[in-house]
Amino acid sequence: MPLNRREFNLSALTLMAAVLSKISPAYASAQVSPAFKALNRLTFGAPPEAVAEFEQFGFEVWLDRELAKPASNDDLKRRLSAATLLIEYEADRDDQKHSWPARKDVIPYQYLGASGESLLPLIDFETLGMSYEERIRPAREVQAASLIRAVHADAQLREVMTQFWHDHFSVNSMRDEHTAAYFVLYDRMMRVQALGNFRQLLGEVTRSPSMLYYLNNEASRASPANENFARELLELHTLGAENYANDQTTSWADVPGAKEGLAEFYIDQDVYEAARALTGWSFGDGREVAAGDNAPLSGAFHYIDRWHDPYQKRILGVEFRANAGPMEDGEKLLDMLARHPGTARFVCGKICRRLLSDEPPTSLADKAVQVWSENFDSPDQIAKVVRAVALSPEFADAPPQKLKRPFEFMASFYRAVGAEVSSPPLDFIWTLSQAGWNQHECRPPTGHLDVAEHWANTNLVSGFASIALNALEDSNGAAKLALASATPKDVKSAADGVRFWAARLHGSPPPDDAAGFTAAQLAGDADAALPDDPGEREVLLRGIVAAAALSPQFLFR
Amino acid sequence: MADPILVVIFLRGGADGLSLISPSGDKDYAAARPSGLRVARKGENVGYVLKNANADADFRFHPRAKGLSELYDSDELAVVHAAGLIDATRSHFDAEDRMERAAPGQGTSAGGWLGRWMNAVRPEGILPALAIGAAAPDSLRGAQGVAVAEEINALRAAAGHGYSTAIRALLARQLGGDAILGAPVKRLLSLSDAIEARVALDENGNMRAYQPSVDYPKDNPLSGSLKTVAQTIKLGLGLRVSTVDFGNWDTHVDQAGQFADQVNILSSALLAFWRDLENHRDNVSVVVMSEFGRRLKSNESGGTDHGHGNAMMMLGPKVKGGRMYGAWPGLANGDLDEGADLAITTDYRSVLAEMMAGHMGFAQTGTLFPAFTGSALRYLS
Repeated sequence: MPLNRREFNLSALTLMAAVLSKISPAYASAQVSPAFKALNRLTFGAPPEAVAEFEQFGFEVWLDRELAKPASNDDLKRRLSAATLLIEYEADRDDQKHSWPARKDVIPYQYLGASGESLLPLIDFETLGMSYEERIRPAREVQAASLIRAVHADAQLREVMTQFWHDHFSVNSMRDEHTAAYFVLYDRMMRVQALGNFRQLLGEVTRSPSMLYYLNNEASRASPANENFARELLELHTLGAENYANDQTTSWADVPGAKEGLAEFYIDQDVYEAARALTGWSFGDGREVAAGDNAPLSGAFHYIDRWHDPYQKRILGVEFRANAGPMEDGEKLLDMLARHPGTARFVCGKICRRLLSDEPPTSLADKAVQVWSENFDSPDQIAKVVRAVALSPEFADAPPQKLKRPFEFMASFYRAVGAEVSSPPLDFIWTLSQAGWNQHECRPPTGHLDVAEHWANTNLVSGFASIALNALEDSNGAAKLALASATPKDVKSAADGVRFWAARLHGSPPPDDAAGFTAAQLAGDADAALPDDPGEREVLLRGIVAAAALSPQFLFR
Repeated sequence: MADPILVVIFLRGGADGLSLISPSGDKDYAAARPSGLRVARKGENVGYVLKNANADADFRFHPRAKGLSELYDSDELAVVHAAGLIDATRSHFDAEDRMERAAPGQGTSAGGWLGRWMNAVRPEGILPALAIGAAAPDSLRGAQGVAVAEEINALRAAAGHGYSTAIRALLARQLGGDAILGAPVKRLLSLSDAIEARVALDENGNMRAYQPSVDYPKDNPLSGSLKTVAQTIKLGLGLRVSTVDFGNWDTHVDQAGQFADQVNILSSALLAFWRDLENHRDNVSVVVMSEFGRRLKSNESGGTDHGHGNAMMMLGPKVKGGRMYGAWPGLANGDLDEGADLAITTDYRSVLAEMMAGHMGFAQTGTLFPAFTGSALRYLS
């Protein structure tokens, strides 16, 4: 039987009514230093050494150094080559009567530098029998490495933008063995291109085996073409749903701009035609193209001309002549989309939303679009846009208002406390999924959404509490850190610990009444001392750190 | 009598209604698809015939839809075909958005159709709305009091942790007044207390596993979701609406095997859920829907692309089951939407509006579906 209104109030809201009245206005409006603001938005969080580096160089120099950092350095290489990950499966057999023994080993990553050709055995189902876990192993390594990179990579801004593009050009690596095996190439490409040129990135994405498989373009041939990739190319990757005008007309000539040379919006007919333009953009996995004719075993993008629909097309009002040369239709399509004003608005708007706020000021988006459009052909087009956004007055003026998403929350937590994430077991992927984040396994091709309206729910709060409380537990295994050794010796009381760790995590130590409240909740008494027993001391400090992480100052950036 | 409850199962990705409930005797259907993408009328893998069909097209459930067929034959399940969103969109996300917000031209501030119901009715229970999944769907937008979880245990903050009491107090103090997180924090904390007041916990503070009254199919991703709904209903937490997302219906390539698996998951889990509800079936209705159907003519990679009209299914105490509703438009070229897809003869809102009025007892359906003036199918008694 449901609780009635009175019982509901008494049972659940009593506590809240008591504590809500005590919220300190000073606690809620503490000033945020430029270092914390910039580091929280442009990196995976602000440990003391990053704050010091930022303050040493100043924002602009720091930013240019970040933008210039390569995708990897010796420290990251050393970390990734030292990392290990469990592989475990039962003995089994497949439909071709191949069988394999059980396995349980903790082994180093082996695929992060793999070539496309060397991955082919993982998608060979005819001659090679092996466990599913072996076939998807490359994606598992990327997933595990993503936490090491987010926490420890020197090129933090590049890592943030890599994650941004993973969401923008989202591939569910676990869709099947093909997307999983080739996901290492996708992730590597994304990191290299993350601050580069959008047209270049778009081409790499379109030809990447994981994307070819995820949205089925590898199977698209005349005729009818498979529309899956072409539709998401227009809707999610370039023009965006905001430029989809299918409810206005079914005739290309009626779309504004179409008869003048370039349609402002797209309709279903453009999707159909774009799909035709991309027929034959496939994959070199030895597949049968026609009787007696096979694609090469290259493990790379492969264009199959005889699968291509060669006849004339009209996309966004632009005529594509019949019988163009190999891949010309597709390249022309990507050129058009990358330079389209609608793409500039859509993608720049997303970059602003990611780096600043759910509803970025129009003036900022306009600025980003201008830089984007002036640099269509620059090799560092994206870096220039990011730079313009980061150095804008809008960026400096905006208060922290962007809710962290679960992966950012976890990574920034580990960074802020100074944890060593060396060989994270995949349990952290499951933990994130409980909060609604599926790292490299987002089901719909939209990627994870980027507005608080989507995230601010009970599932997220419950997940954040669980991450904050358990991230440093031995049973979690992702990170190593003795909080006691990271806490200064002169921190004697629980309340001092609360102040120290709050300052460490978000730069704003709470006022005495708030620190006392936290100490009382965790240690039983506002004036409690830190316990002498090392075990008890560590448990209390974990509670203190969790409390600091579950504050608005840490959750909003 | 207990308050009525509505469960909306959304098949994300655009389920192929022409394979789920198939006009297997239609010659245009046979001509448009290879045999693997059709439901067979004879041979080994024949579909289950629907009685009381609304057209002479030998309608059949997919051969893996045994559970659905059983519910239909027992006059519990009703079917409406050629239903959907009349707007011209073949984008998943645009279609879902339009369908679930259901307030054309009103912008996002209008929320979703279930959100508007919540705001109009303000149900008093502790858990009036439960979204199964990682986030609430657009249909629940705009409402306070929506809980989002895969399982009930996730609605207990810091469950089983030594600091759970302390962390709850700290969440309330630090975030209870936050403009963005305040509402979900308060909801989570009140749910934590309410759930713990009425379920048995083991010595580690964990909830005991739910004991359904029937066996649900194993290795079935929908089973877990529907078990959570059944458990919530039985716990008496005041549930009124629940949304269940079930994805993976976007079958552009190699549809035959994948679609069969999906249908089996849906059919077997829904049957188990319905039987598990026992006497709660007197209060619970279910609607199964998807953002659009799929193209009549298959593509060259063994799949089907985004289409238009689709089937919807309804269960509930007032549902006059074992019948097909709506008009069948046919599949000849001139009968199709844009010459390509199953046309829509029933606006999906007419199905939902009748459910909200007839089952949920909410007559002001104009609030939920502004500007909608269509008539009811009269599938409820």
